[in-house]
Amino acid sequence: MTVDAHAYCGKSIMGYGATAEEILKRCDGLSIEKAVLIPVKPRGYHLGPENTFIAETVKARSDRFTGFARVDPRLGDEALAEMERAITVLGLRGLYLNPWEETYRINESIVDPFMEKARSMNIPVMVKGGHPVVSEPSQIADLARRFPETKVIATSGGQINICGGALQDAMIMLEENKNVYMETSGIYREDFIEEMTKRIGAGRLIFGSGSPLFDADLELQRVTMAHIGEVEKKQIAGLTIKNLLSL
Amino acid sequence: MIIDSHTHVQRVPESFWDSPPERLIALMDEAGVDKSAIMSYGGAPREAAVDYIHEVVKKFHPRLAGYANLDPREGEKAIELLRSAINDMGFDGLKLHPVAYELHPSHPQSIAILKAAGELGVPALFHCGDEDYTLPLQLACAARLVPETIMILGHMGGYFHVEDAIAVARECPNVILETSAMPYPAVIRKAVMAIGSKRVMYASDGPGCVPVLEVEKVRLAGLSEEEQHDLFFRNYMRLHTTRKGI
Repeated sequence: MTVDAHAYCGKSIMGYGATAEEILKRCDGLSIEKAVLIPVKPRGYHLGPENTFIAETVKARSDRFTGFARVDPRLGDEALAEMERAITVLGLRGLYLNPWEETYRINESIVDPFMEKARSMNIPVMVKGGHPVVSEPSQIADLARRFPETKVIATSGGQINICGGALQDAMIMLEENKNVYMETSGIYREDFIEEMTKRIGAGRLIFGSGSPLFDADLELQRVTMAHIGEVEKKQIAGLTIKNLLSL
Repeated sequence: MIIDSHTHVQRVPESFWDSPPERLIALMDEAGVDKSAIMSYGGAPREAAVDYIHEVVKKFHPRLAGYANLDPREGEKAIELLRSAINDMGFDGLKLHPVAYELHPSHPQSIAILKAAGELGVPALFHCGDEDYTLPLQLACAARLVPETIMILGHMGGYFHVEDAIAVARECPNVILETSAMPYPAVIRKAVMAIGSKRVMYASDGPGCVPVLEVEKVRLAGLSEEEQHDLFFRNYMRLHTTRKGI
């Protein structure tokens, strides 16, 4: 079973986006059985309606989709209430934080209540990782270290630094924090997937395309063409996220 | 035919960066790559690194070609080393990674070695990513000062500066964009549409960035067969055979 754990759905103010139909077509073409839909930041800035939209889209094709909720921690209690609504009422399965587009450092104290709430609700927190100043692997590690019982999915393994300057920090983040999972989209150095499979095991690696920001076809091949065993490829391609979300 | 215009060979024992030549050759075979331009990562003393690259190129002839990874702060010594690498050792070009030596690409010492490369008839391959001293618009400052030197923008702007890289290549006819490591097939297509297929070149940045996937990335760009041939080998051959008069 192949699951794309990171597929944006909606029309973002940042200029990217995809419809449910486009995602389904893409998944069909790549033999991806299921996609985790991630809300985008809309023109109106309000993430609540996007969470509702994701839930409705999932409901229409629950055989192919599941979804995460997105909030802006700067909105404090209002965002906590939205998180509660999105998980308990709408039925979304995890929390997505994008400190790059919402502009905050992932290890700022404003994020703490959301990590605590995610722990109490037993849902993972996906962090858009690797962005300078806001979601560097050392910052994600700092957050994860303070909330060891909350599962954190770091997209791009927390490092999209083409100079390789974040590789060491990403390794430290993943090796020292067992609650951090590495999502594979856009990652610098394809052999980082091979290296981390050896170091932390495929059970903490998750395939995500990050599409349409990244190319889903190429992103899937990062996993299928990696120099690792077939069992490990299957684990990364779908089993890890399946287990994490009880799909 | 495929020529990979940017790869690394350097022993860094007990490290994730360890890149013995045998590892690269195996990955080239997997990807159907005929020849790769190899260079050191930096860090090692420059002269010793050039000698090592020379030895490896000879040992694996004709699969590999050499690029001399140098530090412009060494002034005339670096330029002499470049001349020796090109004229005596048969290297194909100069590699500059300004993060390693912290010098703006338009600094007089950088310009001096770029001019020397132009006089020798070889290109200068720059690391061009998201870090200071390697940003496309910073490299443009140098490109304008050395119009006779071909400057290759390796990684064509990394993750966040690809639009700038294309704009720089549009402005500067001596700039070539190179595809390695940056993760967007669509941007390769955009670059070809903007500046033509004769100034975009395939590379992997292997062995870390795996050649078989980097080749696939170019194939996903939706280029014609002729355009792919330009990227995969014709442009490299054009750059490097002119000098040798082949």
